Amino acid sequence: MINFNKKLLLGAIFLSLTFTGCNEILDEQPRSIYTADYFNTPDGVNQGFTALYRQMRLLYGNGYFMSNCQNGTDESTWAQSADGNFKELDMSGNGIINSNTFPTSMVWNSVFPYINTANGIIEKGPGFGIAESMISEARFFRGFYYFMLIQTYGGVPMDLGAGELKYNTVPSTSSARNTVPEVYTKTVFADLKKAIENLPVSPRVTGGVTKNVARLMLAKAYLTYGWWLQNPNGIPTYPEAARNDPDGHNAQWYFQQAYDIAMEGINNPGSYSLQPTFYDVNVGSNDRNTESMLYADHTQSSTYYNESDPVGFGSGWAPDNFAAWMQTWNYTAIKSSKTTAWAGADVVSAVQREAAQPLGRPWVRMCPTLGVIKNTFADKTNDSRYDGTFVTTYRGNWNKTGTGLTSVPVLYNANNLPVQPGGAILSFLNDDSQTPAYPSGSGQSGVGAGTLSGRADWVIAPNGISRIVYPGLWKIGTYRTDDPNGLGYPNAGLTRPFSVAKFSEFYFIAAESAVKGASGAMTARDLINVIRARAGKWKFNNAQNTAYVADNSAAMTAATPTVITIDYLLAERSREYYGEFYRWYDLVRTQKWGDYAASYQIGGASYGDHNPQTITRTIKPFHYLRPIPQNQIDAMEVSSDIKAKYQNPGYN
Amino acid sequence: MTLLPSGIAYSQVKKDTVAKENKIDEVVVIGYGTQRKEAVTGSVATVKGDALREVPSANITQALQGRTAGVDISQTSTKPGAAMQIRIRGTRSLTGDNNPLIVLDGIPFVGSLGDISSSDIKSIDILKDASATAIYGSRGANGVILVTTNRGAKGQKPKFSYNTFTGVQTLFSKYPMMDGPKFAQLRAYAIPAGNTTPLYSNGADENNGVNTDWQSLYYKPAMMTSHDIGVSGGTEGGNYNVGLSYFKQNALIPIQSYERFALRMAIDQQVGSIFKFGFTTNTNYSVSEGNGVNPGAVLGYSPIANPYNPDGTPKRVMSTAGGIDQTWIYTRGSLGSLGDKYIDETKAFASYNNLYGEASLPIKGLKYRLNIGLDYRTSNSGNYSGVGVFNTNPLGPSAAGRGNNQTYHWVLENLLTYDRTFGKHKVNAVALYSAEQNKYTSSYMSAKNVPADFFQYYNLGQSPQADITVRPEDQIYWKTGLLSAMGRIMYTYDNKYMLTATLRADGSSRLAPGNKWHTYPALSLGWNVTNESFMQNIKAINLLKFRAGWGQTSNQAVDPYSTMGRFNVAPYNYGSAGSTGIYGSQPPNPNLGWEYSKTQNYGIDFGILNNRLTGSVEYYKTHTYDLLTQKSLPATSGWSSIVSNVAETENKGVEVSLNGVIFDNPDGFTWEAGVNFYTNKNKILSLASGTERDVNNLWFVGHNINSLYDYQYIGLWQAGDPYQNILEPGTAADVIGSIKVLYTGGYNADGTPVRAIGPDDRQIFDTAPKFQGGFNMRFAYKNFELSTVGAFQHGGILVSTIYGSASYLNRLTGRGNNVDVDYWTEDNTGAYFPRPGRHLSGDNPKYSSTLAMFDASYLKLRTITLGYNVNKDFLKDLKITSLRIYFTVTNPVVLFSPYHKFSGMDPEPNSFGNENQAVSGYQNRQLVIGTNNPSTRNYLMGLNLTF
Repeated sequence: MINFNKKLLLGAIFLSLTFTGCNEILDEQPRSIYTADYFNTPDGVNQGFTALYRQMRLLYGNGYFMSNCQNGTDESTWAQSADGNFKELDMSGNGIINSNTFPTSMVWNSVFPYINTANGIIEKGPGFGIAESMISEARFFRGFYYFMLIQTYGGVPMDLGAGELKYNTVPSTSSARNTVPEVYTKTVFADLKKAIENLPVSPRVTGGVTKNVARLMLAKAYLTYGWWLQNPNGIPTYPEAARNDPDGHNAQWYFQQAYDIAMEGINNPGSYSLQPTFYDVNVGSNDRNTESMLYADHTQSSTYYNESDPVGFGSGWAPDNFAAWMQTWNYTAIKSSKTTAWAGADVVSAVQREAAQPLGRPWVRMCPTLGVIKNTFADKTNDSRYDGTFVTTYRGNWNKTGTGLTSVPVLYNANNLPVQPGGAILSFLNDDSQTPAYPSGSGQSGVGAGTLSGRADWVIAPNGISRIVYPGLWKIGTYRTDDPNGLGYPNAGLTRPFSVAKFSEFYFIAAESAVKGASGAMTARDLINVIRARAGKWKFNNAQNTAYVADNSAAMTAATPTVITIDYLLAERSREYYGEFYRWYDLVRTQKWGDYAASYQIGGASYGDHNPQTITRTIKPFHYLRPIPQNQIDAMEVSSDIKAKYQNPGYN
Repeated sequence: MTLLPSGIAYSQVKKDTVAKENKIDEVVVIGYGTQRKEAVTGSVATVKGDALREVPSANITQALQGRTAGVDISQTSTKPGAAMQIRIRGTRSLTGDNNPLIVLDGIPFVGSLGDISSSDIKSIDILKDASATAIYGSRGANGVILVTTNRGAKGQKPKFSYNTFTGVQTLFSKYPMMDGPKFAQLRAYAIPAGNTTPLYSNGADENNGVNTDWQSLYYKPAMMTSHDIGVSGGTEGGNYNVGLSYFKQNALIPIQSYERFALRMAIDQQVGSIFKFGFTTNTNYSVSEGNGVNPGAVLGYSPIANPYNPDGTPKRVMSTAGGIDQTWIYTRGSLGSLGDKYIDETKAFASYNNLYGEASLPIKGLKYRLNIGLDYRTSNSGNYSGVGVFNTNPLGPSAAGRGNNQTYHWVLENLLTYDRTFGKHKVNAVALYSAEQNKYTSSYMSAKNVPADFFQYYNLGQSPQADITVRPEDQIYWKTGLLSAMGRIMYTYDNKYMLTATLRADGSSRLAPGNKWHTYPALSLGWNVTNESFMQNIKAINLLKFRAGWGQTSNQAVDPYSTMGRFNVAPYNYGSAGSTGIYGSQPPNPNLGWEYSKTQNYGIDFGILNNRLTGSVEYYKTHTYDLLTQKSLPATSGWSSIVSNVAETENKGVEVSLNGVIFDNPDGFTWEAGVNFYTNKNKILSLASGTERDVNNLWFVGHNINSLYDYQYIGLWQAGDPYQNILEPGTAADVIGSIKVLYTGGYNADGTPVRAIGPDDRQIFDTAPKFQGGFNMRFAYKNFELSTVGAFQHGGILVSTIYGSASYLNRLTGRGNNVDVDYWTEDNTGAYFPRPGRHLSGDNPKYSSTLAMFDASYLKLRTITLGYNVNKDFLKDLKITSLRIYFTVTNPVVLFSPYHKFSGMDPEPNSFGNENQAVSGYQNRQLVIGTNNPSTRNYLMGLNLTF
């Protein structure tokens, strides 16, 4: 028995010995995730580039960023289903913009991780043998994101915790803002200049950045900085900085630079060019065309790379493209009848929710002001851009498969007249020369639309446009190619790219610089006439839903005033880029926001309300900078005094 | 309280001169050994297997509900096979795991409690305070549940047993939705201010004459059945226990079910006089079907929508609310007719195995034991939906997904135990050295456009290669290791004075080099007053014992690899070319450490009137510090957040358990009753760097972890209410009848409020109950017995999202169906709910989240069982040892609950806060009533047979 015990003891000791090798139990080796170390390898740095492009999805195509860029300007106001994300930005007393306002926080809260990624690429890339032509993509994005930050918030920090423009791995809880001129000169201009030098003429990847994309952004940055130096309307900056350029140039020098670089872009277009018509620029079937220089891309062919199921229910959240829903009213509420009796069971929706460019998912969060319809787009016949921006005719699609009405040949509509599939069900009239007979309340049309004798379509005149029934936004609408015979997948996020920069803007930048005193081969009028001449060319008429070839270029250019002013350029910009996230930035750059948006007109939020109301807005000089988001301030571990000074003045 | 079976290894020295007459020593499992109940100095609660079997259920946690003070067990879902949430003495951790450590037959358990069949549990012992849980060191902070299964007894003849129950589950209550006429009236009344027409008109499929009860078209009664057969026995040298069980539960929701097969075996064998070995195995296979079927889809369906086409065929999709809502129609029929077009199943296989060898060493009282635990669990899931299934577009592409995960776990424990009595001194010492490793892998892939329904999910490769997706975030691997050394001494002097001292050191792979090790101390003392000489003459008091303990434990809340920082992937497409980028999301943090808890525990155990009334009272206070939070970093750091040890919480409470034998006549009437109630005051003491509130996470210093932050409902705006235009700007026509919330701002000299109601008026609402508990009663008369188990809670806030804003079931706009509420109209200004269609914020009435809060008090019976023990004389001829037949009703009645009274519903939560909601509003950790499977009331018949 003693022997047995000895064996047992020996066995126990042996087992204990097996633990001497057990310290490796305490070692960790991840096998399914990337830890911070991976960014210290060439592969890691190479993978950083795609993240820089992907960042654009967080803003461009995002309906809340649309609110930031458009609501509260002359272009848009809140619509019937809007919440604070739209009403607060309207500046009209339905809530105020403060540090908790979401849309105004989006730039700040989304770009810094990508700026840091760009810092890392720029710092580590050369050591890993990555060519400067590629590293310059990171320079472009760093310059671009800083440019967005400055325009939105004023001066911003360049030191994330590891030193100015250095890749940071420190969980830093303090921050100090640089001034506007510091950020412009040290990163925006420096990065974009280097990017122009080194980027290729043709993109490395589809939609990739090139010399010309960088030129466009630098020209715009110079122009914006020129305005900032000049400060014609005495708009304050923050952190306070004298309007002196550290590089010793004056505003005029920057306007000339902006002009020269824009002209360089125009004269060396590379693979870019203007599309023959405005319709071609925006029609979904021609996406990723030669005029689209930079965009936040999406795809219908992959849930994974699209970051959203292209046939499911879109989230209505980044990184989806869903901006178009915001300015889409609920056209499915329009009523038609299977019989002339309009009995309850006969009443149906002739325009059903469809994944088509004029239709799509209705969220009713934003709508155009009457000024946009009546003044900005006053010319609706020569100029193709009204027709190429808005949906003015809603057409019957009940013949599509799956509507339950596929076999119904005719529906009865306004004035009890028959309509066929594809026929106009509701139209927005071009002008107020005729006054439709409107019902009180929603009426037979279900949406309070009126009738004109002899017309089978319900009609609404410009003065009758309201916060609940208004022309939709065609140019950024849903487009896809699956399910051509059915209603498609209108509830998924859009699978179209959302434009960030277009070749046409070179002309606007050069023209604006010229108005501000720059000179060169083309005058402001020459430049803007290139755009206007193109706008006069028609290929297709959306309202009529028919091919329509016309060349009104001569009439368009003849109507161009001899002296181009900033006001004229701003109106022209709205015609060209309405709904594309430019407006607030354009008005802030030119310091015209307060003038342009002081009041607007729109009908109420109920069906049948066709009385335009005039609403005034309160826009103060401090509003030209958006508030620093509260979560930034909350997360900083600094004294309350420093926190208070971090916020832009005017916001508490 | 486990009775010590004769012959099992834990021998007792029966020479106690002071022992009370006729007293059988009760033994409590305390981890790495057992202890006489009398000598226990920590806080340990025991529930014996028989008590658990009084509540026939799939999962032992259901049977544990309400049984022990301080153990709060809540359902997280009403789906079959769903796990329960267990919180021992409150919630300590903000972001880490708050689940207790489960130990199955001595080995830390890595599976799901649903894997253990409740038929064969001998006892469940719950270690509640740190002096008891310190032996589990870095895993003991949330308490420990020790599950011990039955073993055969030495020298016992083979004993067969068969336990079964079968029954039907019926609807406890429907969700209280409006019927057709009420809904039509609501829709017609929901007219925006200044308008003449309602917000929503009838859609193509709606007609005011229709009255469809979608719930009755959806739910169906469901079966539930369980069978368990076992045999146990023993010889002089060994014993065995082998069993097989089957459980199946269908759901009221179509095509949902849960099924489990389990096999268990336990063998002990003595070899000679000094060596002994044995093993235990628990192996099971379970299948869940249809878990992804949307339980709440039908609730919002318009009751005036007709489910049938004019020709009587069921509709596939319907369009409601003027065409703005389109939905695929869920009914019993539509789901039932899918056939091969739909499947959603999870099959899990698990095997938990524990081997040991034990030897007496040459020193008297010294033993060496080696425990080896080897566990494996795998689960495979597959789902498929055919073309157009659940899609409003009949051509919506088919989709399939397939996932699997594996857990590999091993433990090696070397134990030396020394157990001796020297006169009045009793010493028990344990030394442990152990190593443990746990590896988890998981993968999931999905595909679209599966060519034919019959493939279902079995061959994703048949889909076009471009439609196959393997997302990196769905592929998971982690491996963690733990090395531990532990020593414990239990010392008793003269059965009067007791001391337990523990020291454990843990080293973990999850922490960064240099920080891996920590040592946990614990100490507890006991004084058994009854054994003092001056108590000997007080016959009325059978037991009076005082206990006090202190100890430190921690919670392995640090996720593997989180000290190394994290980069997220960012997929993108360049035109048609996909590419995956990366960007930093969490910087490395080598300083991460555990979340530590220090607990003090004070208790009194007593027994009086010949132990007819026994009980205990305890007070505890747990201070948890270095809590991990995902600390938000300023955006300007370039990183979004970092996990760091910053916060502190406190839990303190009182627990009272009483057990009484009110009548005790074995031949006549017996009445036994047990009741427990407890309080737990949970409070956040501090958050990151001095912040007082973390609104995003709903954490507020001084308040409980599951607090709410919202406006306070104080009524509805009525015509003529002062300052409406200041407090709630808007036209009176719009605001009158809308929700009025508390204004907390100041007033001007003239009495007018200085500002409008805004975010500053939000209040913090503590949701925790004042006290809660459970009770059980057993009446026996001759061969009949009637038993019942109940639970109660007083105070606290119940969130029922169906009345709030998150579920979209109380929008009061007439868009989709609405819960049947009494709303404001010109003729009914005293209503609680606001005027339909007015003063909306987004899709809901403004402030309607305030409508989700209810008084969470309730008193309900969980089960009533009537049993009959068939006469032994009668059985003898049939060679049957015992036969019991019983009838059980589970969830029979809610005796008291404001919420139940209001809604007719079960007042217990049925969902995680962010689950099954239309829009987000609550944290996952908050349990709420949402749109899950409806609660059921079950009628079961069963029998227990041994022969």
